[in-house]
Amino acid sequence: MKRKWQQDRGLQFRMIFTMFLLALVYLTFLAFLAYQGAGMMTMLIFAGGFMLLQYFYSDRLVLMTTGAKIVSESEEPELHQMITRLCAIADLPKPRVAVVDSPMPNAFATGRNPNNAVVAVTTGIRRQLNRSELEAVLAHELSHVKNRDVMVMTIASFLSTVAFFFVRYALIFGGGGSGRREGGGGIIIAWLASIIVWIVSSLLIRALSRYREFAADRGSAVITGQPSNLASALMKISGVMTRIPDDDLRKVEGMNAFFIIPAISKSSIMNLFSTHPSVEKRIAALEKIEQEMETL
Amino acid sequence: MRILDAILGKSSLPKAKMEKLFAISTASITLETSLGFRPGEAAGICFKPIESSRYDTARREVEDLLQYSCRETGTRYRVQKDDYDFLWVVLEDPEFEDLVTNVHLVSQTLVEHGFGEQLLCAIYRFTGKRQVYWVYNFKSGSYYPFAPKGDNKRDSSLEFRLRSIMDSELPMEKNVERWYPLWGIPL
Repeated sequence: MKRKWQQDRGLQFRMIFTMFLLALVYLTFLAFLAYQGAGMMTMLIFAGGFMLLQYFYSDRLVLMTTGAKIVSESEEPELHQMITRLCAIADLPKPRVAVVDSPMPNAFATGRNPNNAVVAVTTGIRRQLNRSELEAVLAHELSHVKNRDVMVMTIASFLSTVAFFFVRYALIFGGGGSGRREGGGGIIIAWLASIIVWIVSSLLIRALSRYREFAADRGSAVITGQPSNLASALMKISGVMTRIPDDDLRKVEGMNAFFIIPAISKSSIMNLFSTHPSVEKRIAALEKIEQEMETL
Repeated sequence: MRILDAILGKSSLPKAKMEKLFAISTASITLETSLGFRPGEAAGICFKPIESSRYDTARREVEDLLQYSCRETGTRYRVQKDDYDFLWVVLEDPEFEDLVTNVHLVSQTLVEHGFGEQLLCAIYRFTGKRQVYWVYNFKSGSYYPFAPKGDNKRDSSLEFRLRSIMDSELPMEKNVERWYPLWGIPL
């Protein structure tokens, strides 16, 4: 599952909440197994089974949590035709198309492979963007499908789960007799180590996710041939556009005294944790692609 | 390799395949004799315009070449944008061979300038009981039939019939999922 545009708090919250619940069920179950004295192999098999379930049902899961509705060609002829043409250029089978009834501008793609993909947009994004900007956003989502991002991210998170359990078991049972004698101390160290592994791996997964976003932006630029459309779509959605003033300079001059310089300094820690790169960075990357296209 | 590129997020667009474009020439005879579909005296080629001065140069060259070639073959042509901002070169000529030649000219020129990936399709119109189109997909280098019925519906049974009869003559797109419809064809 790939998400776009930080702005959409409601949708984001629902997704995170679902993920949280999923993780909770998952961990409770594994903890129960461990309590029953299941070995490391059994645990790994169960962990893998869960991941497979999530992988195979990713499309239905995401559609359910976001309330996205699959729309037919007769319901949304324009949206379908745009996606059809982009697919013809990108050489992809046409995905199912869904619409989320939400005023927030957002779009996402899901599905384990190009044959099971769904591309969804909110009603909000369709209102805010013009046709070529919407096309650029759709091309970005189709690039996620083409790059098989659901598969890549599922495998990445599975590996991080494996690492988590591996460290835990290695520390609890690996030390042979010495671990036993220390009793509680050894278990605490094992817990700490596995938590550190988990944190590091989730940071790595986020970095990977950001890299995939840049890759999908590039894909959109290549498919549409117009990187500036995605850039302006990103600006509109993130609200950067509203920062470009519309007022005449002479009119603003009189009010200057009341202005406060917005203190938007993004600390690097935020970048480390976010799954999407900042809009500024994405636009800068798109500008570079545009220059490349000019000089190639 | 393509899977690996995809996983690394480096997937690129497939190059345009031009070789099978001419197959429609001989197929048009069978279409007329065994199915009663005459060549509709019009063809079109559709591509996505690009934001780059290199593209502008390529487009100027396409138009220069078209002007020259169309004078030679007596073909009428026009360039127009559709509702989705795709560019169409629409060619009209009673001589089917001239249509094929000029479609090839346009696509070849775009490919030579490195814009082959942006070619959406080439379309030939045929008329019989109903208007049908043969669409050439540059990505797979194959043809598929498209029979619009109005109101964004397509006559699938006619399309399947066309496929079964033309299968031996035309390189056919095997995967029906890639039979992308095109509504509002300007020819």
